[in-house]
Amino acid sequence: MLAALTVMTIANGAAQGRGAAPPRSPRTAAPVDLTGYWVSLVTEDWRFRMFAAPKGDFTGVPLNPEGRKAAQAWDPARDAASGEACKAYGAGAVMRMPGRLHITWVDDTTLKVDTDAGTQTRTLRFGTPQGPAGGWQGVSAASWDRSPTALESQSPGSEGQSSGGSLKVTTTKMRSGYLRRNGVPYSGDAVITEYYDRFDIAGGDSLLVISTEVVDPTYLLQPFWTSTHFKKQNDSTGWNPTPCSVK
Amino acid sequence: MLGQVTFALIVATLTVATVFGQAGAPPVEPQSSAGFDLSGYWTAAQHEDALERGPGPELVDYGGFPINDAARLFALSYDASRVTLRHHQCDGYVTAYQVRATGNARAWEERDPHTQRLIAIHWYNQTFEGHRTLWMDGRPHPAPYAPHTWMGFSTGRFVGNALMVETTHIKQGWLRRNGLPESDQATTVEFFVRHGDHLTHTSVITDPVYLAEPLVRTTDFVRQPVDHRNWLFACDDGEQILGRAPDQVPNYLFGQNPFIREFGNRYQVPLAAHLGGAETMYPPNATMSRPVAESDALARTRPGAGGSVASRAVNPEPSDGDVHVLPIRNNLYLLAGDRGNIVVQVGDEGAFVVDTGAGALADKTIAAIGRLSDRPIQFIANTSFRPDHTGGNATLRASGVDPSVQGSFFSRQFADAGVGATIMAHQNVQNSMIALRMPPSGVPSDTFLQERRRTFHNGDAVEMFWEPHAVTDGDSLVHFRRADVIVTGDIFTTTQFPFIDVSHGGSVEGEIRALNDILSRTVFQHEGEGGTLIVPGHGYLCDEHEVVEYRDMVVIIRDRVQALIRNGATLEQVKAARVTADYDTRYGATSGAWTTDMFVEAVYTSLMSAPTRPTTQR
Repeated sequence: MLAALTVMTIANGAAQGRGAAPPRSPRTAAPVDLTGYWVSLVTEDWRFRMFAAPKGDFTGVPLNPEGRKAAQAWDPARDAASGEACKAYGAGAVMRMPGRLHITWVDDTTLKVDTDAGTQTRTLRFGTPQGPAGGWQGVSAASWDRSPTALESQSPGSEGQSSGGSLKVTTTKMRSGYLRRNGVPYSGDAVITEYYDRFDIAGGDSLLVISTEVVDPTYLLQPFWTSTHFKKQNDSTGWNPTPCSVK
Repeated sequence: MLGQVTFALIVATLTVATVFGQAGAPPVEPQSSAGFDLSGYWTAAQHEDALERGPGPELVDYGGFPINDAARLFALSYDASRVTLRHHQCDGYVTAYQVRATGNARAWEERDPHTQRLIAIHWYNQTFEGHRTLWMDGRPHPAPYAPHTWMGFSTGRFVGNALMVETTHIKQGWLRRNGLPESDQATTVEFFVRHGDHLTHTSVITDPVYLAEPLVRTTDFVRQPVDHRNWLFACDDGEQILGRAPDQVPNYLFGQNPFIREFGNRYQVPLAAHLGGAETMYPPNATMSRPVAESDALARTRPGAGGSVASRAVNPEPSDGDVHVLPIRNNLYLLAGDRGNIVVQVGDEGAFVVDTGAGALADKTIAAIGRLSDRPIQFIANTSFRPDHTGGNATLRASGVDPSVQGSFFSRQFADAGVGATIMAHQNVQNSMIALRMPPSGVPSDTFLQERRRTFHNGDAVEMFWEPHAVTDGDSLVHFRRADVIVTGDIFTTTQFPFIDVSHGGSVEGEIRALNDILSRTVFQHEGEGGTLIVPGHGYLCDEHEVVEYRDMVVIIRDRVQALIRNGATLEQVKAARVTADYDTRYGATSGAWTTDMFVEAVYTSLMSAPTRPTTQR
């Protein structure tokens, strides 16, 4: 029994990293490298994303009666005149806009996502979320969502990145906006949860897939799920910041 | 106390085993200790592409698909009425499209009962009852000459936080069910990632025939706590269009699709954009941000100028100098490697061989048959006179014996009666081989003139059906009725346009009749696949679906040539019209024994000739 307990103690000590280095920062602990330039591959909801669909066309979005009413009231001219041309470029939809992303680390705890579509910036902060509420991009809390695989395969005290894990981002406190260009609404009370996954495929290409859940009791009957994919670029080719557009 | 000590020892042992692994313990395969459990009930969150995935896509809506010109032309030629054809009524969806189908799904694991190692993950979709097996045990993919299925052959492994699945051997199907094709050469790589009760599926389709770039799509599923109890998808092919001739396949001639502008007009989308292409899936570009000239957009709805292009398909026939054996069903085997496909039925009565290949590997063919049975070859049936199907006749015949002749009255008339196997074929095969001075010992001696030749052998009814004026004037199908396997010879291949040899009596109309005759004898097992198996003259083992697609192609090309002839086109004008443009990347050839130009000329020539009617021997 003594021998067995001794072994158990050694095992637990090793697993918990007793005497090991201090906890790593989110940046050094990243299970996946999401930085760089990514270009969207618009192969789904193509006509909704590439063009503004007709008013009242909210096919696929589980709007409640209030949401339908708001969608029917879409007036792009009014949005432009009232300085709300960026309503379709908020956290609820900006990743669906055809365009490019530039993802960088600002510091050890903050990722930044710049979009050329609408020239928006999202700040994804690990730990306690900070930042002004009420903007188009709201306040985003980031964390690494590691799979059991990654936890098992990562040896104690190891340095560097280990494969297996997603970036989880929860965004709240946005300014109300549009899920689609044609005025399909989400409210300022919506909660947006995203998972960022990277897949490397044969031939050297890498894909970024962002799975998004929008929960909005104000305008939605149920969570609205989409998944949006991007291809990695070697450089900034095609990066073309453009202002928000209501069309 | 004793109980507590025992418990502590068990805990300690398990802890050590988990953290360090355990010396002396069986090696643990990564896939059995890592990854996540996909098991359970899932429902697609159909918030993206809801119209397509529900009631169906709009016509001529190809925007965002990185298709090539061939795919666009194929789709524009597609008439949705084609699904009313009997053999299309129960067509299933192919792998990646199946995942995006409406309906419910469930997943479960299959584990070795003794070791609990993960053997496979099963994924079942309600729509078309699509059942996928994702093999997790490291087994290799089948040989290129193995059958294709709707779901293909999939192997998986956990990579990072994803289950990565690679799939090959997929049937021809849809990228989108408004006519956008995915060829049988497509392969997919998929990633399943689970975040709690949400599952994201990513598919990457690579198709050298119809895609200019890989097509990436992502699909969301939400886990359901209870069984949906709605798993079946009833389908039979009972709908009939009365009076429609068997050689009619609904299609639009190039440039005559009446729905080209419907989508664009409805949604104010430029034609050049919704005609698709790789450029349309990237952020706004010239195609969508500035008007494209009407003439330029319309030009994309017709074959471009220039010559035909060569096939981008993989040749499934082995070329390593060896003969490869693939079990077909019951006591039948496919022997591939000596160019033309060879089929062997084995049993107590001796081997029954259909076609003998080119003959270069005849000794290896005999050796392969010898490993399947210790009985000699008794019968050889030839589907045609062509050298890649009769080249091994003489050698195989010499290795065999026909005991049904020995001891009969024939032995009193012929000293060599029963010496060697008996070769049977239509009389015109014998005529052609004699005329071409092919080795006499390889010429069929047991011939028939009309309809069919039948025999009961090794417990199966074996029928040969003459197909007049198909690729030649002496083609036969060989149908093993109990095994339900049809050997087609060159009437049907998966490797080229039909080798219509007009100089030996072939014709496009006879070819269509022969393909329809094959289809009149097939019965699918489930959702349009399986059941009757088809062995082509060249290529991989098939079922009726591949024959249907091939028949459709021949009819559609026939229709185009016929329309041009009616308008007075010459052969050169027909060739210049690129009537095969949507099929060239799959079957075309610009060099070799059977080029696209030769095929088009054969179609043109046979249509310009007097109508061919079934006759007897020459």
